[in-house]
Amino acid sequence: MKLVVNGKSVEVAVPPETPLLWALREEVGLTGTKFGCGAALCGACTVHVDGQPKRSCVTPCGDVGDKPIITIEGLASGEVLHPVQQAWVEENVPQCGYCQAGQIMTTVALLKTKPQPTDDDIDAALAANLCRCGTYPRIRKAVHRAAELLASKAAP
Amino acid sequence: MTSDWSRRGFLHGVLVGGGALALAACGGGQKLRVEHADQTGELVANLYITVLASGRVALIVNKAEIGQGVSTGYATLVAEELEVPIDHVDVHYADSNKSLRVSNGMQITGGSTSIFEAYVPLRQAAASAREMLIAAAAQTWNVPAKDCRAVAGHVVHGGNKLGYGELTKLAAHHDVPKKPPLKAAKDFALIGKTDRRIDSRGKIDGTGIYGIDVHVPNMCNAYAIFGPTFGAKPSNLKADRAKQHPGVIDVIAFDWGVAVVAEKYWQARAAAADVDVTWGEGVLHRLDTGKLAAALNAHDRPGAVVADHGGDVDDALAHAEIKVGGTYEAPYLAHAPMEPNNATVHVTDGKAEVWAPTQSPTIAQAFVAHALGIGMDDVTIHVTLCGGGFGRRALGDACGQAAQISAHVKRPVKLTWTREADMTQAWYRPIYNAKVEGAVRGNKVTGANIRLLSQSIVLSGKPYFGAALTALPGPLARMVTDAMMAVFSTNSFGDVFATEGIANTPYRFSAFKLAAEPVQTKMPVLFWRSVGNSVTGFIMEGLVDELAVAAKQDPFALRRSLLPANSRQTRVLDRLEKLASWSTPPPNHVGRGIARHFCFETEVAQVAEVELIDNRIRVNKVYCVVDCGVAVNPDIIKSQIEGAIIFGLSAALDQQITLVDGVVQQRNFDTYPVLRMHEAPEIVVEIMPSEERPTGVGEPGLPPIAPAVANAVCNLTGVRLRRMPLQRAWNERGAT
Repeated sequence: MKLVVNGKSVEVAVPPETPLLWALREEVGLTGTKFGCGAALCGACTVHVDGQPKRSCVTPCGDVGDKPIITIEGLASGEVLHPVQQAWVEENVPQCGYCQAGQIMTTVALLKTKPQPTDDDIDAALAANLCRCGTYPRIRKAVHRAAELLASKAAP
Repeated sequence: MTSDWSRRGFLHGVLVGGGALALAACGGGQKLRVEHADQTGELVANLYITVLASGRVALIVNKAEIGQGVSTGYATLVAEELEVPIDHVDVHYADSNKSLRVSNGMQITGGSTSIFEAYVPLRQAAASAREMLIAAAAQTWNVPAKDCRAVAGHVVHGGNKLGYGELTKLAAHHDVPKKPPLKAAKDFALIGKTDRRIDSRGKIDGTGIYGIDVHVPNMCNAYAIFGPTFGAKPSNLKADRAKQHPGVIDVIAFDWGVAVVAEKYWQARAAAADVDVTWGEGVLHRLDTGKLAAALNAHDRPGAVVADHGGDVDDALAHAEIKVGGTYEAPYLAHAPMEPNNATVHVTDGKAEVWAPTQSPTIAQAFVAHALGIGMDDVTIHVTLCGGGFGRRALGDACGQAAQISAHVKRPVKLTWTREADMTQAWYRPIYNAKVEGAVRGNKVTGANIRLLSQSIVLSGKPYFGAALTALPGPLARMVTDAMMAVFSTNSFGDVFATEGIANTPYRFSAFKLAAEPVQTKMPVLFWRSVGNSVTGFIMEGLVDELAVAAKQDPFALRRSLLPANSRQTRVLDRLEKLASWSTPPPNHVGRGIARHFCFETEVAQVAEVELIDNRIRVNKVYCVVDCGVAVNPDIIKSQIEGAIIFGLSAALDQQITLVDGVVQQRNFDTYPVLRMHEAPEIVVEIMPSEERPTGVGEPGLPPIAPAVANAVCNLTGVRLRRMPLQRAWNERGAT
């Protein structure tokens, strides 16, 4: 079957019930999307499908079809980081870093619908993205910082 | 996008794989150093530092980056003394290497020791390279070396200026200085100032390679099926249907479980559903944690006295006007790092090459050597990024398993555990039970007595570590075994890890006694972030808070009265009292609690502000003051403390591993909850200014949080919670 990942069409030889996570990691070769729980409990595997954040570990490839998929590898433009990634670096967010692809993908989706999120918005959007290193206070700061960066980018 | 390990640069292979290391470790280093420099333009200054012909610096970090920031910390130390911008330093994580077994005879990341260990030697290593480059420039210009200065990757003298890359060949001819001068603290440009982590990029753009991301040519994948209880052996394997799945290479029963091997992990995972197997009894003998806890509560033997700080405790208790205390309890805990256990191994001709997210290449070598019946020298470990560690990755269990699978299928194989395997086949923080008594007379503390029961990591680990380590042939095995046992240094009942934080408490009671006794079960137990301190801090600070309430004293004042005057402890308390605005009472719906603890040579004190919302303990804010000596990277220290508080809060409030009939009841994050974004408190961290040698940071932030919260709950409600997890204790308060 065909997947459209980060703007490119990729042929993957997997049965339709195969979780998108493993097709991305093993067939497309994009390992930035992480396996954490296999049961949509931790958010480490979050990618965008048709602009919506999805838990790729429980999303069958067959349900995705040719809807556009964006992974963590698809955010930056060459060497230029996405503003959310930039904010993550500025706030020294990552510790082990394993969950951060999922945190970032969830945040990118949040900022599309809420460009100036409140703390409550952040709590609601990221409540199911677990971080064992405890980077939540920095993630919160980085989300606000990313909103600033996006706003200044959008300004004429 | 490359996740192919084989495509990592040549440099990595030369430096980390042994070329430069062998060279630097070699006794006749000078001749080799010159030859190497002539051929490559690289100055291999020592085991850790190579200055490249480009002028960039290759730094071999002999620690795992488990999120604690060691790569930035070590790069800071080196850039400071070598006088290069920190972004000129490229970090390479060291492979297993005998010359690098510098931590208790091992290569290991743990015990909050990385900066403590490296602060002087790594700066000396960098200063050596600097002095050699200066000597080369001085020779070039025919001027005294003492008149030359190293500045931003160059050596300068008057109007002369040469980049390091232009000096490496000549520098190799100069002697390695034995005692190069180190910069004075007042001249530090980076230490205490550098805050930006150098390892963020790969962690936010998907390019960082964790163990689970390793790809080597011709690699296949394995999915492990484990029995329902620890140590259960498989029999009657029926895998015919599984073997018919596309891509499946083999289904193999080992002592430890069944491996389903396929070209791709998703194929192995799908085929595993069609494996049928019978499981043996395992080693836990139907262990039931409910019954175990009851037995520990009922246990009334006094135990061996392991610390007696003087005074007559019995007399103090007999003459107390008020006696405080009760039974403090803590459950088994899993580390549950976000990256499930995994390893990639290629076995060929009696040798094994391993890629793994490991905290200890030496222990990983031992596990693989034991699993294959080969020598440790025949095992090479490549260390990847680690998706969390917290102590769990000190073991090499997945490495040993993957090695056996690779030997069987005769291909490189990556073994990836499921989350459920990671949770149920873990090596857990031991359970604790402590009977605590404190005596107050005339509003003064007159004594305290603690009787501690805990499963010993040393005694419990011996059969497992022993199997992995002592069975090895040759003197290497004995060396590693001795090193392990040296780490497991003994006191009392053979396990300092059980009593640390109480036996060595800085509190000076007029009478104080600690007795301890090991709990013997076959449950595998291991170091868990801050080890014994994760519970002993809870016990001591609960006791001290109980004493403060009974003696009608302010908890800051009482602690000061029990601590050495003008000590690290009291200075941290003084600072915390101001930071938390302690003199201003909180609103009625908020409780405040204090706790402090000294471990890994670092003093940490915290105030937690707590409220109860629909019977849920909600921690709103935590103030924290840390004294860890010189703060090399202040913002990384703050992030470690924040992380330790949140990691500790997950455990303090909610986490427990329970067993019924030997079966772990928690299998994933739905039943083993991790604190979430909306539950994380606001955290304010202050670091005490210091010129003392840097001490531990990764772990010391954890022990105070549980008692600070329990003490805050008592402050708010009058209910003393002595059992973790606290939320469960709160829910069951009053029940017998």
